[in-house]
Amino acid sequence: MTLSFILNGEDVSAKARSVDRLSDVLHDQFGLLGVQSDCRSGRCGRCLVFLDGRLAPSCLLPAFKARGREIITIEGFSQTEDYRDIEEGFKEAGVETCGFCEGPKIMAAAALLERRPRPTNSEILEFMSAAPCRCTDPEALIRAVRSSAELKARRRYRRAGQ
Amino acid sequence: MLHVATVRSPVARGAVRSITFPRLPTGYRAILPADIPGRNRIASFGAEIPVLAHERVSYEGEPIALLAGPDPVVLEALVAATKVECEEEEPVLGWESFSSDQVVAKRVAIVGDPDLAFSIAPEVHEAVYVSGAIDHYYSEPQGAAAAYDYDKIAIWCATQWPYHVRDSVALALGCRAEEVSVRPTRLGVHLDGKLWYPSLLACHAAIAAVACGSPARLLLTREEDFLYTTKRARSSVSVRAALGPGNDLSAMDVRIALNVGAYGPLADEILSQAVLASTGAYGCPNLRVEGYAVTTNTPPLGAFGGLGASHALFAVEAHANRLAAAAGEDPADWKSRNVLKKGSALITGEPLREEAPYAAILERLSLASDYRRKHACYELVRKRRSGKSDGPLRGIGLSFAYQGTGQFLSGDRSNAYSVEVGLDKELKVQIKTSAAAGGGGVLDIWRKTASSALGVPLANVRVASADTDESPNSGPSTLSRGVTVVNRLVENACAAIQKRRFRDPLPLTARSAYRIPKPISWEEGRVRGSPFDTAAWAGAAVELELDPWTLDPRPLGVWLCVDGGQVVSPERARAALRAGCADALGTCLSERFDPSGGKGKEDQYFRYGLLPLNELPPISVDFIEPPRKSPVKGIGELPFDTVPAAFLTAISQAAGAGFSCLPVPSSQIIRAVESA
Amino acid sequence: MLDSDVHYPKDLVGALDLLRKRPGAVVMAGGTDILREQGGRGLSLPAEVVCVHELPELRRAGLTERFLEIGAAVTLTEVLELGESVVPPLLAEAVGLVATPAIRNLATIGGNIACRSRFMDAWPALACLDAIIELRDAGGSTWINVNRLAGEDRRPAFPEGGLLTRIRVPLERWDALALKKVGPRDYPSPDTAVFAFVAKVEKGILSELRLAFAGEMAFRSAATESRMIGRTVPLSERERADASEAFRAEAAFLPEAQALRFGVLVDGALELLGR
Repeated sequence: MTLSFILNGEDVSAKARSVDRLSDVLHDQFGLLGVQSDCRSGRCGRCLVFLDGRLAPSCLLPAFKARGREIITIEGFSQTEDYRDIEEGFKEAGVETCGFCEGPKIMAAAALLERRPRPTNSEILEFMSAAPCRCTDPEALIRAVRSSAELKARRRYRRAGQ
Repeated sequence: MLHVATVRSPVARGAVRSITFPRLPTGYRAILPADIPGRNRIASFGAEIPVLAHERVSYEGEPIALLAGPDPVVLEALVAATKVECEEEEPVLGWESFSSDQVVAKRVAIVGDPDLAFSIAPEVHEAVYVSGAIDHYYSEPQGAAAAYDYDKIAIWCATQWPYHVRDSVALALGCRAEEVSVRPTRLGVHLDGKLWYPSLLACHAAIAAVACGSPARLLLTREEDFLYTTKRARSSVSVRAALGPGNDLSAMDVRIALNVGAYGPLADEILSQAVLASTGAYGCPNLRVEGYAVTTNTPPLGAFGGLGASHALFAVEAHANRLAAAAGEDPADWKSRNVLKKGSALITGEPLREEAPYAAILERLSLASDYRRKHACYELVRKRRSGKSDGPLRGIGLSFAYQGTGQFLSGDRSNAYSVEVGLDKELKVQIKTSAAAGGGGVLDIWRKTASSALGVPLANVRVASADTDESPNSGPSTLSRGVTVVNRLVENACAAIQKRRFRDPLPLTARSAYRIPKPISWEEGRVRGSPFDTAAWAGAAVELELDPWTLDPRPLGVWLCVDGGQVVSPERARAALRAGCADALGTCLSERFDPSGGKGKEDQYFRYGLLPLNELPPISVDFIEPPRKSPVKGIGELPFDTVPAAFLTAISQAAGAGFSCLPVPSSQIIRAVESA
Repeated sequence: MLDSDVHYPKDLVGALDLLRKRPGAVVMAGGTDILREQGGRGLSLPAEVVCVHELPELRRAGLTERFLEIGAAVTLTEVLELGESVVPPLLAEAVGLVATPAIRNLATIGGNIACRSRFMDAWPALACLDAIIELRDAGGSTWINVNRLAGEDRRPAFPEGGLLTRIRVPLERWDALALKKVGPRDYPSPDTAVFAFVAKVEKGILSELRLAFAGEMAFRSAATESRMIGRTVPLSERERADASEAFRAEAAFLPEAQALRFGVLVDGALELLGR
């Protein structure tokens, strides 16, 4: 089947079989290496995308569910100011990751801050668990998301003032 | 690029009679053991593992053939349609009691006269501590890619030991080692699961590439990785300990059974480490330890966050807490009396060369966690409680352990480990070591060492890639060798350059080779040698509460205090240890897995997960100030060496029962509380 | 390898018509349950799939004085976003414990209720709240109490042939309520189960008590519940012990570990009525 959807802001078409996961189509057909089919059960976070603005594990989506929808991957998201706020927040907090979970954690942080500009520690850690990994220091993650929230708020405040 | 998929044995033990592939579409090819150009074996730490099992299989899921082709989804369907006929035999799964055929390593150590000591001891306490298999939960599932690159075969994979991959692939392809070029990819979290297993996958990719004349890539699904690759060895440690006059430790009788799965590739090392750690941080004048590494028909089981010491340290620490309770003492006091002192004889008879900083660590832990007061308070509650509605059920546990530094106890098998450092005319430094494959903060430690030794700015120091074409063999990246052994080699190479620098023109290169320390020797019940040159020490306190509704344990806090010698980057080390404590806590609470397979095995994959971060308590890590000129020590294993025993003690106190395995099943906790 | 036929009806009438013509077709909303235990590269799907996640009739939510009505294709996140003043706390608590935030963005309330292999997290809460669900087919609609979704063998008995379209949750004030989840939280394993409890006390008399526990099997005992009605609150220690014994005896069909869990949770609930 041919599927049309919006991917990272552009109208695209993909050829897919019903047996194909969206994560594999994004990775293999569009070369979006930031989307990995890893656990294939929606739990490891390596396939996280924004689907119609909501964080979703794309390995739990058959490709045909993308029809007519809007998808943003880490590649697309990394072009945004929200991404830069979070990246900077992670850097300020000194977060060191194994490298594999950083993108998914940034996506999860973005999803959280979109709806909760001032999240609690528990909410931060719940969202960071969207990309579970043995590598990260929970304290650093809390600092990172708080730092990101502040940077985002400051940027929005500056924009509002202009 | 072709994808490669694995055809696996459907039985845990037996003989393969036939493999019948479905009709293969054009472009797809099957690869059988007969297609292996060289030897159908990889050698690993004393064991030999088939690249593709031929005729006989030793665990369910063992690779017996490969399929290669352009579409991984089609390949998966072809693998599912492949019929493997086996003459199945009853698998050998028992390991806590076992037959002599299963034993691949045995270690015995006897000190003093334990029989006499037990015969006169006023009190003897015994328990069996069991640790389950744990999944490494790598940052990504394992895999390897192979392709011809002019006159070489290039291999890409994540590995702790690139040269092991190189030598294994060369053996399997029947070519010279120099014809194989290993280009390590990002390793991520490995917890010592990638010491040898990546070599097996690299052989598969290489054989497929050669057979098909095309680049080939094998990527396990996470489910395959979980079910079929190496996990932490399971252990059962039976500790019988006698208290003498004054309630001091007078004798121990320890029996260690380690389930190392099929082939047991790290059996010698894991068992040696476990046996030598069997008295933990305590002096015991009369001791018998018998350790057995036992094979079973499960996937190979081995290292996890260290090479075996944690099995014994868990048991002995938990038992020390139990002994203290039996003696009616606060474990902190009992341990204080019985802990090793400088000059105390270790299990090998060698004296401990440094003070075990128990008092300093205990003082910091007590202050940070309020251990003394809480322990006394919870003990009172435990003794007086008559039902579960008598208030919160809480407990706090203390443990103390060490991490020895950098040495393989079963003997390093090579004297060819080295590091090369170069200084050019622009005063730019290049460090070459295959240990760079390990990645992480240790690279910065080497850079700082070189920068300091050669007096050049840090920005001028670079670590070369760990490609086997570029960097020398520095041995496996494990046992914190990066910060100890390799760092010392960097230092030595820089010192050699520094000696020549002002008389010989630049550029200069120096290589520093590893001098293998005298290995431990095991003879007739006596063990000789030095188990470690130096050790990092740590104490942990874990406090928890049983949820008033569900009686599930809810950790309230973890405190870790470390004497790690010279800690080059304290903030980074703190973050890494907090992550380690979080992992160790997860293994106490929720990570449980039975690798013996059978019905329900696939379900275990879906059920297994890391502890959600929002269920973690605050974790505090503190460092003791080291004396001047203290060496850099390995500290990465300390959370796994300390947190489990402290957790077990805490949950035992909270529930009013003496648990001895982790995770504690909820049914055991409920029964203990309801019967109080 | 089967390549399924996938249909995207535009509205409920279209969907019902498709299902009438293709009786073997499987409905997919979020799809998380269908894909849940498929760890392989290629998906294994039924021959015909009808996507309902965008049907406007299934995406609505509405509130009256007496009940909250939620469309079956409303995601679990969207249920929570209806807000504390709208969603009964017991249901909100249950939904908030499902899996992870990312999975809740895909999983739907209808999918949670219609799972055939086990009871998912919302069932015990909905059972206690006496929720009803609407099943529609081309011939019309039927409303079924959620409690009837548990068969005589205590396992899920979701009726075949109809499309789950709406869930109606009565709005009542409760004096005591509790919802607890046991076992692995991020994945519905055999050890995972949810306990829900509600009670009403009027003038010191227990006027209503409902208690449900479900994982792979479900427990609900209207008979034991009704024997408690009319007692004076706070319950005495003896009354609590007797009630605990009665509930535990009725739950003896549960696997041993789950039965133990259930017993502890029942005691916790009875404890609330003992204060």
